[in-house]
Amino acid sequence: MTQPFLSIRKLRKAFGAFTAVHDVTLDIPKGEFLTFLGPSGSGKSTTLYAIAGFQDPSSGDVLLEGKSLLAVPPHKRNIGMVFQRYTLFPHLSVAENVAFPLRVRRRPEAEVKRKVADMLGLVRLESFAERLPGALSGGQQQRVALARALAYDPPILLMDEPLSALDKKLREEIQAEIRRIHRETGVTILYVTHDQEEALHLSDRIALFRDGRIEQTGTGEDLYLRPATDFVAGFIGNSNFLAAEHLETVGGAATIRLGDGSLVSGISANGRFERGQKTRLMIRPEAFRLERSPTSAELAVEIVDVAFYGERRRIVARTAAGQEIDIRPTSAAMASQEATPRHRQVFFDPGAAFLFPA
Amino acid sequence: MLLDYDRMGWLRVALLCFTTLVAAFLLLPVVFIVLLSFGSSRWLAFPPPGWTLKWYQELFADPSWLEAALTSARIATMTALLAVLIGLLASFALVRGRFRGREILRGLLLTPMVLPVVVFAIAIYAFFLRLGLGGTTIGFVIAHTVLALPFAIIPIATALEGFDKSIEDAAIVCGASPLEAKLRITLPSIRIGIFSAAIFSFLASWDEVVVAIFMASPTLQTLPVKIWGSLRADLSPVIAAASSLLVGLTLALMIVTALLRRRFQT
Repeated sequence: MTQPFLSIRKLRKAFGAFTAVHDVTLDIPKGEFLTFLGPSGSGKSTTLYAIAGFQDPSSGDVLLEGKSLLAVPPHKRNIGMVFQRYTLFPHLSVAENVAFPLRVRRRPEAEVKRKVADMLGLVRLESFAERLPGALSGGQQQRVALARALAYDPPILLMDEPLSALDKKLREEIQAEIRRIHRETGVTILYVTHDQEEALHLSDRIALFRDGRIEQTGTGEDLYLRPATDFVAGFIGNSNFLAAEHLETVGGAATIRLGDGSLVSGISANGRFERGQKTRLMIRPEAFRLERSPTSAELAVEIVDVAFYGERRRIVARTAAGQEIDIRPTSAAMASQEATPRHRQVFFDPGAAFLFPA
Repeated sequence: MLLDYDRMGWLRVALLCFTTLVAAFLLLPVVFIVLLSFGSSRWLAFPPPGWTLKWYQELFADPSWLEAALTSARIATMTALLAVLIGLLASFALVRGRFRGREILRGLLLTPMVLPVVVFAIAIYAFFLRLGLGGTTIGFVIAHTVLALPFAIIPIATALEGFDKSIEDAAIVCGASPLEAKLRITLPSIRIGIFSAAIFSFLASWDEVVVAIFMASPTLQTLPVKIWGSLRADLSPVIAAASSLLVGLTLALMIVTALLRRRFQT
């Protein structure tokens, strides 16, 4: 077996009686863009800070190319980091900020100059070299912070919600910038965010955190299309959960009874269920169809509201059991809202529906 | 807003008059002293019959005045250095530290600001006599440092509170040792607070008279003590000239502080 580039082994961090991180284990290959995604307080930042060296884990280990980092003080770990808050040195110019890590490493002046120019070119801020951080916008400051963190070619770059203080449009711009920089430098990036869209957009893989544990690790598609738990399904994208009774599972395909008494077969089952067990059926809003297909299952609903959202419409409907569900057909699939009867059938592919314990 | 200056109407005039009166009440005695130091009357008569610089000539001709001024400057400079150094370390403990009794320590360090100076003076006088520090420069500096410490801690701690620790952490991630990060990043970032602390603690010692009277010996006198002593011996306009110099230096330092603040804030 090849040795993983960065390895987090049974990492655990307790603050008094509260355990922020429970036995997190994760291997990260070189050059990967991995995102720690999760709600606030889920342990993702604590894990990141343990890798940076600002948190001493209660137990477990962090290995870089097979060597433990724990005994190495943070300033000797040679890791790059961009923080959530603006952390440029306020009394130093942009160029001197980027030069700082090289100066503390006592690199020759010619190399410092060349590297600063390279880095400012990488983040496209060459013309700002002599400015003070106070004269820069938030987005520019974070780009300089990125240049500073990469100036000494660290093997790993940690990013702790670097865009959360920026507005949406700027955030998307810098996301594109970060992707480009990851492509150009090939640096291994660990990125923390609570924004699922940001995670889906940026990462090669996502580790979804919940209550100090990793709920699921996989590509964005894995998490979206094949959620391991109802928490993952609920956190990534939008989901409808319908109450259902499990009847039987054959070869991973479950048969269930919905609240209105209708039977549905061929559901993707996550785990083992007993006959008669109360379960929840997860269906994505965009997995619903308005037309029947040979394999589709059907659901009788009453349309409550239809709204136009550009490429998609959003329908709020109520099931016979009185539960509200969210349906997002493409606008093309539904000519106009007048054509919709109040009571009708909607359809879904059972393979795109997932069964979770209630 | 209820008390919006732009909308106060005639009250603005009343407020202006009142503020002017208060300012005049506070400042006029100082102005008179300065005017009298240039007056030709031997008896400090006002208005002076004529203008002269002879009191300043007399002041500079008398080596005991110059010596007192130099003593004051020397003690104030050492006090400022010591107070800033201790204030800096104390501020890190008070702002960053998480330890039991932190609030008590903060209160204790700021006590000299509220304690009646004469009480402190008597206590330290008795104590220093026993230690043999009475009438020595070191004794002066220690006593004044205690008095100046609150004036050093307050601006430094305020600046440190306003400084995001993440910036220091960023320097550490960049490869700077914790000490190097503090010296190269944190201290330059809070330099306004450090300069203010230096100037305030210099002034706290420079114009301090109560403790100085207790601490002084015939051979070691600060300028305020010399003024006080001369005042009791005879009422010469030379005292007005000495006082004017005291006021002048204080004013100059305050202006420097204000200018530095303005420069750093842009």
